[in-house]
Amino acid sequence: MSVVLFRVDERLIHGQVVVGWARQLRPRRIIVVDDALAEDELEQSIYRTGIPEGIDADFWSGREAVRALPGVLKSSERAFVLTADLATMAQLTLEVEGIREVNVGCLHHGDGRRVLPYVRLDEGDERLIDEMSDRGVRVVARDVPSSSPTQLGAQARG
Amino acid sequence: MTGRCGVVVAHGHLADGLLSALARVAGEQNSLWALSNEGLAGADLEAQITSILAERCAGREAYLLSDMEGGSCGQACRRLLAKGTVKAVLYGVNLPLLVEFVFLQDEAFERFVSAAVEKGRRALGVHA
Repeated sequence: MSVVLFRVDERLIHGQVVVGWARQLRPRRIIVVDDALAEDELEQSIYRTGIPEGIDADFWSGREAVRALPGVLKSSERAFVLTADLATMAQLTLEVEGIREVNVGCLHHGDGRRVLPYVRLDEGDERLIDEMSDRGVRVVARDVPSSSPTQLGAQARG
Repeated sequence: MTGRCGVVVAHGHLADGLLSALARVAGEQNSLWALSNEGLAGADLEAQITSILAERCAGREAYLLSDMEGGSCGQACRRLLAKGTVKAVLYGVNLPLLVEFVFLQDEAFERFVSAAVEKGRRALGVHA
């Protein structure tokens, strides 16, 4: 598989991604899937400042991602796919074949239950994770590669 | 406008640590304040920065200083610059840059920012 990381992270492109994960997995491309960001050039330029040399970035809407990701999955180029929320990623796992594992990074925001220091989940989030698990997608929280992975979802909760 | 004031926004304990070191070499000062992004994302981080600026820097020319150009700290700083909240964002902060920030308060803007950043850049090197 040429997508070496599917990650949900409200901060999208930030230190943990470009230092922690990119040093480990060496992507050539970071694809951000976010409808609002795909239309916002100022925000894109702010995120681009954090990308190391040698890595390209794309900002796609959900619709563009559904159309183009199958090609990325078949290509030999190593890519990260990032979304800021679980709903966008869950939609990708529904519409794009071949997503087997989703990494969960920073989800600090909101009033949900704190399941890890960097992850809060409300009922809607839990439902989305369970839906992905039911489709055979492993959903694993891990902020940086050196942390222990924590599987999320009903199966993990027992 | 009476002087300049800034918030150092950085990962982990870096901002607090830098200002603690600054106090040791330059004495206690009231022109720089520290904020960590720990547990703060996006709009929350921007709101926290804005609140410190309002509380500590009112009436002074406001600046933000971040540890990296990219990353969530640098991104929040850039968004506030785009909104006109601050005069400039300096990134890649180190101790020599902060010393200049404190001691170049009376310089004109161009000279102030270029001298501070140049001092920080020239402070990097290696002896082997």
